[in-house]
Amino acid sequence: MTRMYHHLPVDAYTSQDWFDREQRLIFSRTWRYAGLAEDVPEPGHFVSVQAGLNNIFIVMGRDHRLRAFHNICRHRGTQLIRAVGKTQKALTCPYHDWTYDLEGNLISVPDEAKEYPNGVDKSCLGLKPASVDIWRGMLFVHPDPNPPSLAEWLGAVDPLLGPHKPEELVEYPDARRSYEIKANWKIVVENYIDVYHLSHLHSNTLHMYDHARAEYGWKGPHYHFWEPPAPDYATNLEKNLPTPRVIPEPHIGAWVPMLFPGIGLGAGEDSWNIFIITPLGPDLTRVENRTKLANASGWEFQKQEWSSWSFWKDFGGPKYPDSDATGEDDPMASGDFTAEDIYACEQQQKSLTSPFFEVGPAANGESPVVRHQQAILDFLETQEAGT
Amino acid sequence: MNPDFFSLKVSEIRPEIKGKATSVTFDLPASLAKTLGWQAGQHVTLRFHLNEKEQRRSYSISNPPGAPLRITVKRVAGGLVSNHIGDHLKPGDTVDVMPPFGQFSLTPDPLKRRTHYFFGAGSGITPLFAMINAVLKEEPHSVAHLIYGNADGENIIFGEELDNLARDHAARFTLRHVLSAPSLWRWSSPWRKGRVDADAIKAAVMETPPVAQDVQYWICGPGAMNTEVNNALMALDVPANRIHAESFGGAAAPASSVTGIAANAKVDLGGATYEVPVAADQTLLNAILSAGLTPPFSCQSGVCGACKARLTNGRVHMHARMALEDSDVARGDILSCQSVATSDELSISFDK
Ligand code: FES
Ligand code: FES
Ligand SMILES: [Fe+2]
Repeated sequence: MTRMYHHLPVDAYTSQDWFDREQRLIFSRTWRYAGLAEDVPEPGHFVSVQAGLNNIFIVMGRDHRLRAFHNICRHRGTQLIRAVGKTQKALTCPYHDWTYDLEGNLISVPDEAKEYPNGVDKSCLGLKPASVDIWRGMLFVHPDPNPPSLAEWLGAVDPLLGPHKPEELVEYPDARRSYEIKANWKIVVENYIDVYHLSHLHSNTLHMYDHARAEYGWKGPHYHFWEPPAPDYATNLEKNLPTPRVIPEPHIGAWVPMLFPGIGLGAGEDSWNIFIITPLGPDLTRVENRTKLANASGWEFQKQEWSSWSFWKDFGGPKYPDSDATGEDDPMASGDFTAEDIYACEQQQKSLTSPFFEVGPAANGESPVVRHQQAILDFLETQEAGT
Repeated sequence: MNPDFFSLKVSEIRPEIKGKATSVTFDLPASLAKTLGWQAGQHVTLRFHLNEKEQRRSYSISNPPGAPLRITVKRVAGGLVSNHIGDHLKPGDTVDVMPPFGQFSLTPDPLKRRTHYFFGAGSGITPLFAMINAVLKEEPHSVAHLIYGNADGENIIFGEELDNLARDHAARFTLRHVLSAPSLWRWSSPWRKGRVDADAIKAAVMETPPVAQDVQYWICGPGAMNTEVNNALMALDVPANRIHAESFGGAAAPASSVTGIAANAKVDLGGATYEVPVAADQTLLNAILSAGLTPPFSCQSGVCGACKARLTNGRVHMHARMALEDSDVARGDILSCQSVATSDELSISFDK
């Protein structure tokens, strides 16, 4: 008998088979986050990103339009991503110097006459195009040159993601983090969208928001979530915000959606954050965080810090008091909700290989967990039907 | 084959820019809605009988599909039909109209997410106006940027309508006026003075770079402007399949592959000067190689710059010039592997 964890077999969280299948059918077939728009600021600049099985690079042309290509030299496959030329008008492969223009056309094969006496048809050897777009200030790539547009993919959920304009905000570099969690990527997603745990795991870290009044749901495979500030935070909200507002009044609350697959956003009155989940192995996942804040002066940040100080000085703390903590670096005594989440994910993953693991009933606040499993099944099914 | 004309009743005549242009709206009976349906950017042919002769003219439709069928006609000095329309046509008259057609058309798609740049001048606005309206109405995830050239503020067709669009769709439509002869006391600050040229295009793209990355460029103006905008876009490496152009007064095909002419070239190489004959279809590099000389070269694709030489006399056309900066070209540098002669005497030097 297959052991089940709600809709999915427990295997889906532990086996290489499932991991490979998801890499092939989910992460290599969807729009992937590839950075912030400002990562490619000017003509000639480029970034590359691993998107499932595909490595795709994005380069900006002199017309300020982005191009995306599979990072594979059409000669023997070497990863290219090296621009040459004074203004970086061309991309040359390091191996045999085959050179492509920014439209991906193969324009030069060195020693062509000598090495290819019968000629090479350059017109069939252009770089394979992929797709790129910018949405909410983020770069997205898709391996297919003609994928469904982002309007099609995210259009329905877009209005539920908050009034933020990330392209007008400024990155706060100190908050940029990338770390690994020893758990399957779906465990990390499920933790992100588990409404039940908010008042419990984070009983002492996220209570400035009113989890009881959270509103959440789905648009296709994409999850949306919003909750208002808790009453004592909301009284004097403007004074209590730790940094200047990023959305106009009277908008309030926290928007914490999880776009498919594994693209988490977390946006409130005073900040905008991304939480990008990338599977590295059946039980290993990378999370990348970046934060944007208001485009305001140092003085405005200082004023907001002072005005909010009295609210935050006594706010929060460890879930477990000192006496219960196992040591200095016990995540349960950290007072940091991210540390709490990582801890919960890793502790849960450990049990999935036990023959005695048996899942308990899903609570109301866990309905998103169950629904996400269904989204995985549905997506796999459509993809498998299509191949 | 002689396509059918349909007799349509004029429902409204509206003078534009103080009578220098005229908008004519037709009553389109429901039974003809399909036959006379159009895509934004297309035009119609009208037939008049003037001076005992049949006169046919094509005019762009200045409304998007779904709005009334309307053309906007600028008076041509001494023009028979345009002045007839401006002076004599009145509501209730009937005009013979052929079904709309034309390649220069934009079909909006609600699921597409595009950035459209529109470059227009004078009455070239008419098809662009239809396109912009179609995008704003039917393509909600897309944005439109218009760069619009005119002589002065008095001559801007649809000036007010465009201002309204810019106000009502501030997040999705930007409007930039380029005036060649602005009268200072009437029009305080156009976006730029001058023409819709390479610099204006660069500046517009820098100010509002594409966010949606499916970028399309639409050009409609007099032939010279179209050529200039097209060249400026190509110089920025815009792929040809993203550029859509129509010049009023007929579509002018841009000059594509230039062939050279036979020439004699004086070539300075390694301290000596040689006389080299160049055939019409030969690049300078090939001619020099055929003459048994050993000039520097490598990629033969215009990429590496190894074959660079200085043109000191005569003219050439370069098929590609990726390895050169604009400043190199200004100095007279050429890529010999990409150059064909366009004057019959040339002097080039590899020693400079
Ligand atoms: S592998 Fe790229 S040039 Fe040979
Ligand atoms: S040989 Fe490389 S540019 Fe001419
Ligand atoms: Fe959590």
